[in-house]
Amino acid sequence: MITFKNVTKRFGLITALTEVSLGVEKGDFAFITGPSGSGKTTIIRLILRDLTPTSGEIIFADRNLAKLDKSQLPFYRRQIGCVFQDLKLLGDRTIGENIALTLAISGVSQERQRIRAKEALSYVGLDTRIDSFPSQLAGGELQRAVIARSIIHDPKLILADEPTGNLDPGTAWEIVQLLAKINKDGTTVLMATHNREIVDKMKKHVIELKKGKIVRDRESGKYEND
Amino acid sequence: MFKQHISTALVHIRRSPYQAIAAIAIMTLTFFAATTFALVAYVLSVTINYFETRPQIIAFLKNDATPAEVSNLTQKTVQDTRVKGEVRYVSHEEAFRIFKDTTDNPLATELVPADVLPASLEFSVSDLSFAQEVIDEFKKEKIVERVEFTGSLGGEANASQVIKNLQKVTSYTRIGGATLLLFLSFTAILTLLIVIGMRVSVRREEINVLTLMGATPAFVRLPFLFEGIIYAAAGAFSGFLIATLLILYLIPNIKFYFGEIPVIPEQILDIGLYFGALLLIEIVAAIVVGLAGAWFAISRYLKI
Repeated sequence: MITFKNVTKRFGLITALTEVSLGVEKGDFAFITGPSGSGKTTIIRLILRDLTPTSGEIIFADRNLAKLDKSQLPFYRRQIGCVFQDLKLLGDRTIGENIALTLAISGVSQERQRIRAKEALSYVGLDTRIDSFPSQLAGGELQRAVIARSIIHDPKLILADEPTGNLDPGTAWEIVQLLAKINKDGTTVLMATHNREIVDKMKKHVIELKKGKIVRDRESGKYEND
Repeated sequence: MFKQHISTALVHIRRSPYQAIAAIAIMTLTFFAATTFALVAYVLSVTINYFETRPQIIAFLKNDATPAEVSNLTQKTVQDTRVKGEVRYVSHEEAFRIFKDTTDNPLATELVPADVLPASLEFSVSDLSFAQEVIDEFKKEKIVERVEFTGSLGGEANASQVIKNLQKVTSYTRIGGATLLLFLSFTAILTLLIVIGMRVSVRREEINVLTLMGATPAFVRLPFLFEGIIYAAAGAFSGFLIATLLILYLIPNIKFYFGEIPVIPEQILDIGLYFGALLLIEIVAAIVVGLAGAWFAISRYLKI
């Protein structure tokens, strides 16, 4: 589903990625791991087309992202659900309104938005919080809300950038389990994380980065050497 | 879809009411001035039209003028291309009757004979600039005693001076009014640019999230455009309302000042139609101003 072919990304004199080649199949659950500054978020942003590669190709669902023009970009991004580490929930809107934003962007009616928001929140176990504001939810609940927002429009791919970064181990595990459940239901999941314990426990496809280069790409297995 | 964007715009307005009030206040001032100027222009136009259509020139005839001579002069005047409309002959008797109707001293009408007032020819010129030359020609006619010009303004009896004064007043009003309106419109657009620019800055994070989630540029921009339109339309309506109420309150004074010049239509329907048309024009202008201000702000501060 996602293919990187010799992708390099430079920010001025700093090289964030060096000739990275990777592949994530449809229905896959893949971790992108590595220490801070290894290029995990850069990969996520390249897939989201928030950045463009300095060189190389990125193919998503048989489409070369470099050939996407500006007018096609919003429609491309609607195929992806994003789970950000810093949540990016809008504090002046209810959880229900935040969740439904993805549908509002697509022109879905408000009635339908509310129905789908309830369904999405029920899926993540937050059905009673639809009218609460983000400030009224705990960390784990907020991340669940973000996941609900990312799945409400049935995307092809979920991109999760350090979704467990600010959570305690127990809550972090719950969040990853939720993503696994989404993956089991057919959605491809690509999760950037430096949490070794979770990667080891999950035994999924692991792509390890170090200083912008891939040092390991295992279909399944541990973070560390076997 | 528009309903959602308007709703978003209203939410933005509710969250920063003081900025909204400032923007609407400037719009109100602009459209108050616009309404007042429109009405002044209308009054001036009616006044000029009044002077152009009323018998502006009265040629008083000598008592010994014969009917044939009067008839000849009347024919000659009718055929003059500078003369517009009807040439009216007012006999001694009719002049006396007009005098009786207009005077508030009944004793005077009892004491004077009917033929003490001269007969006259009354007519208008098609352009006020012809008035002086026509008057000068009439003064040379054998049966004409004297010629009066009725369009007097500021105490000036000389026709060319009166014409110049009228034209000057009209010109100054138009130029001055247009300049003031232009300046106020510029101020209004600038205010909108600043207020909406601030909105964009405050909502930068939200805009970023929306963009990453697949919002089109139109989806992001439309609430801000609607916000600009709402400020301008609210200001236009309130400015119009204040100006209209003020003018309605002053109608008796205006009617008294202008006397028989019909600056205020007699029919309520005509007044309603005029104000209705003016409101419609101002709302359209408000939408243009609102869109312009918001568009400049978006272009300047929103990079998507």
